Amino acid sequence: MKKPLLSLVNINKFFGDVHVLKDITLDIQQGEFLTLLGPSGCGKTTLLRCIAGLERIDSGDMLLNGVSIKELEPNKRNVNTVFQNYALFPHLNVYDNIAYGPRVKRTMAEPELQEKVAEMLDLVQMTGYEGRMPHQLSGGQRQRIAIARALINQPDILLLDEPLGALDLKLRKHMQTELSQLQKKTGTTFVYVTHDQDEALNMSDRIAVLSQGRIQQIGTPREIYNNPVNLFVADFIGDRNLLEVEVLATADSYSQVKLGSRIINVRSAAYLEAGQRGMLAVHKDKLRIAAEPGPNSLAGTVLSVHYAGYQIRVEVQIEDAVITAVEYQQSESDYQVGDQVYLSWDDHGAILLPMEAGSA
Amino acid sequence: MRKRVSGFEVFYLSLFFVVLYLPVLSVILYSFNASSSTAQWSGLTLDWYRELFRDRVIGQAFLVSLQVAILTALLSAVLGTAAAVISLAVTKGMQKTIQGVMILPLLVPEVALGVSLLVFFNGLGLPFGHLTLVLSHSLFCVPYVYIMVQLRLAEIDRSIIESARDLGATKWQTVKTIILPLVMPSITTASLLAIAMSLDDVVISTFMSGPRTTTLPVHIFSMMRVGVTPKVNALCTLILVGTFFVIGLNQVISKNSKLRGLSD
Repeated sequence: MKKPLLSLVNINKFFGDVHVLKDITLDIQQGEFLTLLGPSGCGKTTLLRCIAGLERIDSGDMLLNGVSIKELEPNKRNVNTVFQNYALFPHLNVYDNIAYGPRVKRTMAEPELQEKVAEMLDLVQMTGYEGRMPHQLSGGQRQRIAIARALINQPDILLLDEPLGALDLKLRKHMQTELSQLQKKTGTTFVYVTHDQDEALNMSDRIAVLSQGRIQQIGTPREIYNNPVNLFVADFIGDRNLLEVEVLATADSYSQVKLGSRIINVRSAAYLEAGQRGMLAVHKDKLRIAAEPGPNSLAGTVLSVHYAGYQIRVEVQIEDAVITAVEYQQSESDYQVGDQVYLSWDDHGAILLPMEAGSA
Repeated sequence: MRKRVSGFEVFYLSLFFVVLYLPVLSVILYSFNASSSTAQWSGLTLDWYRELFRDRVIGQAFLVSLQVAILTALLSAVLGTAAAVISLAVTKGMQKTIQGVMILPLLVPEVALGVSLLVFFNGLGLPFGHLTLVLSHSLFCVPYVYIMVQLRLAEIDRSIIESARDLGATKWQTVKTIILPLVMPSITTASLLAIAMSLDDVVISTFMSGPRTTTLPVHIFSMMRVGVTPKVNALCTLILVGTFFVIGLNQVISKNSKLRGLSD
């Protein structure tokens, strides 16, 4: 295996009595786009600030290219941050903002610096804005300048703290694409913090899901989306039905479970003993509705049909449980309330998880 | 829609301004009065101004006041700004302590402050004059600089300072290139305020003046003992003009800094 660019080893951090980061261990590879995803207050921004050196860690270690950086001041670490509110220097114009890093570190002579700034402006498509003051720029433009100001230092890692949080939806979508392209073009390692799962799934090579200061799961977007390892991840990522079931038997990562009075076979994320209760997580968009019964299908009655443009949400009552299925426009389904229907799913559509949410 | 102003409101406001500014106006008026008595008006003259400029003692006192005021403003600006910037880097509890200590001189009665300074400098064996005046005036000017700079610092987004460090600036570089330029308008305003307060001070200056270093207000006060001469009116008029000039200067400076986007 390749040597990691940044290794986080057993990092712990306290704010007073509050344990905000718990045994964080994580390797980040050169050139990777890694996202720290979690709800607000999960510690993702604190972890980012620890890597930047803006917060001290209480225990553990941080190795950048194999060298410990945990004792270094922020200006001595070859990582740069793009802050949520951009944090451009209000009294300096765009040129001086971008030139700030090389100037304070005295790494470039002025002619070289001029060339470099022009190159950065070109990279973020802001050529011609050298003389503007930050308050004369729109949110998206400030964002680009903040990125250029960080990238001119050629950091080993670019840390981005919810950089799209303040932008409107349309611009956010656009900037997602732009950021991905920028990351590929420069080959810079990105560590990206967000609470938005769409953003994370869209842009990342790998996602680390955080909750209550702990990493719940690390994996590719596909792994995280299809194979959550615990209830927290299943609930946080994707849109799922969570159904309590009784485990009858488990073998080879499959379990036989009892949902109400029906017995079905499902994939299992962990080994569950017979007789235990488990939680079956079923993707709403991977459910199929049919008028005829099939293998492993559940019979139920249509409770309600919500038409929402490109998708139709159908609620189906199955014994005591209510399951929501999302159908897309291309299917010709046209069910009415009260219809008898059969729900089924592919292997990937559902996964059985242990009861306790993995957030100890 | 234009607001209608009632007759009563106009009357009240006029009365208010008349009461507030009539004494000031009368000083200006009487400084041009040919008669030496305020009881009668006997035509315009510039004699009192001529006499004022011939008075070597007043000239000397004015020079002392000006020197002391400028030195006080400089010293207070440095000390007050340093305290405010340092309190950024310390814990919340420490910040409270610094703030308390800084503001204390404003709460101590001036007479008590004057007496204690007199005893203190006497004990140290410092000669009374420029040095003692500047030090004692700074004592009550530093808090104003500290408060004004601190208010400005509190408005600055913490992540702006953090991003300077993140981009490679040392602590000192961050202060020099980011913090100081951003708080400069407040330092300027506070320094002008310090000049005004130093020029204005009587109580502490009375204790601190040396035999040959009397400030202007202290001298005016002693002149009053022999009665008000129109010369004092002329002097006060000039002081008023000077004050308005300083206020105007400050307006222009803060307007310019707004234009440069410092205040957003």
